[in-house]
Amino acid sequence: MGPLSAADAEALATMNDGLKAYIELHTTLERSLPPLSKDASPEQIDKNQRAFESLIRDARTTAKPGDIFTPQARPVIIRLLATVFGGPEGRQLKASIMDENPVNPVELKLAVNSRYPDTVPLTTIPPLVLQTLPKLTEDLEYRFIGDWLILLDTHAHVIADFIDNALPKYAG
Amino acid sequence: MSPPPSSLVLLALLVVVAGGLGLDRGGGVRDIALDAQPPAAPPSVALPNRDGSFKFAVLGDFGTGERAQYQLAGQMAALHGRFKFDTVVTVGDNLYGGERPQDFKVKFELPYKPLLDAGVKFYASLGNHDAREQRYYKLFNMGGELYYTLTPSPDIRLFMLETTYPTPEQFTWLEKELKGSNHKWKIAFFHHAMYSSGGRHGSDLGLRKVLEPLFVNYNVSVVLTGHDHVYERVKPQKGITYFVVGSGGELRAGNLDRASGLTAKGFDADLAFLAAEISGDQLHFNAISRTGETVDSGVLSRRTPTP
Repeated sequence: MGPLSAADAEALATMNDGLKAYIELHTTLERSLPPLSKDASPEQIDKNQRAFESLIRDARTTAKPGDIFTPQARPVIIRLLATVFGGPEGRQLKASIMDENPVNPVELKLAVNSRYPDTVPLTTIPPLVLQTLPKLTEDLEYRFIGDWLILLDTHAHVIADFIDNALPKYAG
Repeated sequence: MSPPPSSLVLLALLVVVAGGLGLDRGGGVRDIALDAQPPAAPPSVALPNRDGSFKFAVLGDFGTGERAQYQLAGQMAALHGRFKFDTVVTVGDNLYGGERPQDFKVKFELPYKPLLDAGVKFYASLGNHDAREQRYYKLFNMGGELYYTLTPSPDIRLFMLETTYPTPEQFTWLEKELKGSNHKWKIAFFHHAMYSSGGRHGSDLGLRKVLEPLFVNYNVSVVLTGHDHVYERVKPQKGITYFVVGSGGELRAGNLDRASGLTAKGFDADLAFLAAEISGDQLHFNAISRTGETVDSGVLSRRTPTP
């Protein structure tokens, strides 16, 4: 992958406000909870996680697709992914992502602000794909569910945003 | 020396409890059901079993809460009666399906209770079925980190990595840690296998491309992974020995591709864990099955830095 064009960089930069606002909200709400010990019990972990999930969802009741993956950024991300998966390693990369990921996001009724499904394993995100997508802070991760790109709040287990049909149908 | 009768009674009870719960395992992948046949015999001990050596076990893809997991856990406890390993490193998929408090109990705390009660410490790495909060779980000893190191003796350093979301920051950290380590033994543990003959997943080439140069350049001797639900010892690759130990609770029977050309020894007929001992410049290992059979054993020498 070469450097981004000025137009693409500008389009991706439109995500910055949404990301910043999300992280600020995340941080504020997290600080309102008792800190989780590094030697926590399963009960403490579960209680903390579900409380955080509830806080995030309550604070984002009006959240909708595109709040973070903006309409300007969305086509650029899809195109970047198409370039990576159309490259020489594309077939292997896609196989890695689709491994244990034969799910239909529509049937799962995925939505912004919904809980990441407990029954769906986390997809592997190959290093090359991570290098291609805009950088995130530690509290957010990219994952795929089926061919949807998910922006996952890892602590709250909440889907912060998504891009449907983000993976190209064919690779390599 | 055999385990005390009370331990055996407890294990039998745990197996019965696990078998009767009918747990919902959600996203766990299970291709072939293991029968409920009880373990045949406690494992033999063929390692040097020397005083002062570092003794450890490796377990992967195990947290099902089902009878077979408990049976393999029983073999680990039985081995511990005669081979006092104080460390178990997990290579991920520590809990399949739900991760509510009761899942931690049934899929981890109960099956390994005899080991935990004996003071054995588990050090976890995470797999694709594991929620990130596991890093805070006291009995996984991750210190709140997704990737970390452990120095069990002055000559040995273990590197536990996270491979479902391999950020550039982790690779930078790893290179710094490897470069700054003068330990004779450097051993890496993580979930996705860089070399595997497993038919379900196989070798992760993207990960290999990034990690292999680091392991080669900084003198890593052994790499232990999981993900494929089989046991495999891979022929040395650029001087490094790779193991796949994804056989701790799930099994994909007959899933090893014997034509891969990678396999030094494979076992895909039953569950298995790895017991190992580092004594001086040698690492001795036994792979032990659910029935107590030693299905692979050998001795490895550490790599020495190239001048």
